Amino acid sequence: MTRSPRLLSVAAVLLLAGCSYGAEAPDELASPTASTSPDAEQTVAPTSAAPVTDEVEQDLDLALSTPVEDSVYPDVGDPRVDALLYDLDLTWDPLGRRLTASAVVTFRATRTAPRFQLDLAPGLTVGDLRLDGESVGFARRGTNLLVRAPVEADTRYELTLDYAGTPRPAPAPTTRNDFSTTGFTITDTGEVWTMQEPYGAYTWYPVNDQPSDKALYDITVRAPAPWTGISNGRLTGLDTRDDTTTTSWQLTEPASSYLVTLAIGDYTHSSNTTADGLRVDYWTPRGMVLGLDRVQSAAASIDWIESKLGPYPFDSLGLVVTASQSAMETQTMLTLGNNEYVLSPQVIAHELVHQWYGDQVSPADWRDVWLNEGMTMLVQWIYQDEHDLQPLSDSVAAGRADDQGLRDQYGPPGAYDPRQFGGSNIYTSPALMWNELRVAVGDDEFFRIARSWLDAHDGTSVTREQIFDHWESETGRELSAFFDRWITGPTTPRRGITKG
Amino acid sequence: MSNSGDYGVALAPDDIDALARSARDGDRDALETLLAELRPRVLNICRGVLPYSGDAEDACQEAMLNVATKIGSWGGRGRFTTWLHVVSVNSARTTYRRLKNLATPTDFEDGAHDRPDPRTTSVIAGTRLDLLEAMDTIERDHPQFVEPLLLRDVYGLPYDEIAALVGAPLGTVKAQIHHGRKLARPLLRGER
Repeated sequence: MTRSPRLLSVAAVLLLAGCSYGAEAPDELASPTASTSPDAEQTVAPTSAAPVTDEVEQDLDLALSTPVEDSVYPDVGDPRVDALLYDLDLTWDPLGRRLTASAVVTFRATRTAPRFQLDLAPGLTVGDLRLDGESVGFARRGTNLLVRAPVEADTRYELTLDYAGTPRPAPAPTTRNDFSTTGFTITDTGEVWTMQEPYGAYTWYPVNDQPSDKALYDITVRAPAPWTGISNGRLTGLDTRDDTTTTSWQLTEPASSYLVTLAIGDYTHSSNTTADGLRVDYWTPRGMVLGLDRVQSAAASIDWIESKLGPYPFDSLGLVVTASQSAMETQTMLTLGNNEYVLSPQVIAHELVHQWYGDQVSPADWRDVWLNEGMTMLVQWIYQDEHDLQPLSDSVAAGRADDQGLRDQYGPPGAYDPRQFGGSNIYTSPALMWNELRVAVGDDEFFRIARSWLDAHDGTSVTREQIFDHWESETGRELSAFFDRWITGPTTPRRGITKG
Repeated sequence: MSNSGDYGVALAPDDIDALARSARDGDRDALETLLAELRPRVLNICRGVLPYSGDAEDACQEAMLNVATKIGSWGGRGRFTTWLHVVSVNSARTTYRRLKNLATPTDFEDGAHDRPDPRTTSVIAGTRLDLLEAMDTIERDHPQFVEPLLLRDVYGLPYDEIAALVGAPLGTVKAQIHHGRKLARPLLRGER
């Protein structure tokens, strides 16, 4: 937000400064669909039945990962577990605010160990728990579900458990003003939404809640009709009987747990199509009118992003609008809050860019969340420039003006204060860094390298060392000092790519 | 995740309280800094009640004015931001009432639709019209239930903070919230 000059009187501050926050958002936003050539295929169908596709057999080998202990949030996750498939069956009672669930977690033990653990909120009561069909002992230690059964390295197991309770969101390690908790969130009329970065999936299912462990998902949600449960991937079942709507969702490309979403409410479905023929599903609250056209700008934004980063990396795409105040790049199903800022075309474009930078290729450790936000912020700035929302030069100038204060307050983007997750330092500073490289090598070469990075690491979780190596080998330049200054340095680097 | 729109140094709760005390005691610079600092927070609170940005900004403007003129009534008992919550939500409710009175009822003159249909103005859409209507209904007979209920169920404040804020014993506040919920539930579910 803009700072008000201290010389202004109180009244002048009130009259002049207004209440908008997000200084870069102009009052009137051109819809991207309006500024690209109108295309009959992009006409939005009125409220429509949601297309259901057949369930397929999951290919567990796709989900093999190398889990690590997180350096920023080591209390969450267990590197002994490599989850392959979460098969969840969730029944939601909005009046009783009660979740009744069963989970089958298929995992690979990464090492031979006398016990292992998943994350699960202590407020959820666990009933029957079995490992490969055998009842085994377990203990709860805070958010850890400790399973007292030996496992052998590189062997696959099925952990089955029932659990129930009223899920509560987890305190978020941040001072951001658009969220203070993560995970399963219940509105005052019993709807559900989730946003769970950097962790918080454990508020509603047993999970290895750390981003290096990507896994597949089969999620079934039962909710009182006409409410509908929404999750990631393709809709493979939709059935209403006995006043209950049952939806089944299948995510067939592996995702980190922070990219999983669940939303339950009175939703209607509509869709449109990208130029390449990808259907984009919109799940919006029944009766929502204002902002709907902005949400449906997603198809045109995908066309634009594909011109920079290459083809959309997944085989389905949807957006769900919830009562959040933020917006989240949950894989193949964006979770959007409901205010003018998060429903603006450029914020939706931001979450869509994350499908490439963040979801297709994810950070292995939360120290590298800047890998997601830096490139995405730069692409959002370019989007704003090319859609006449804000010139790139203005975004860069504003970013440079903010950079030092952000480093002072939150730390460098690659060594941030763990209590300040998601500060603007992980967005602005690395966006400025990537922009210097873009200026140095030119747009065509910049995006060629940005695409080749995604191709080389498709479906995996990565570290900063890997991306540094990639850019050095692709550009033929020695960039280690450049990267270090931007990512872990205490002061704003000078412009350009200086040697040494 | 979307950028939070935070481009500068945010104040810690203790700093806000210190600034608010100076502002309350007449320091004009402190008041200006405080208002600039709190504006995004107030707007977020108003957006939680009024979904459409124009309405929320009206309410925010009103809340900022109320903070500036009524800061002398902040007793300093709890966090300033807690007091700010109350001022903000009350401003949003006042704004809503004014907007409702300005609107001309044309379509629904038979009185059957004198209340917005919560199914088409869903809370999940960010629209709290049904909630605001429910609070207005409850307020007619039980004005004392409204504030504790909003603070508990909309803002999620702990009971003890609510008790300190409204200046009532903990048990009383719990009972008010319990009774308020019973009254609100049928109103929110459209089952009147």
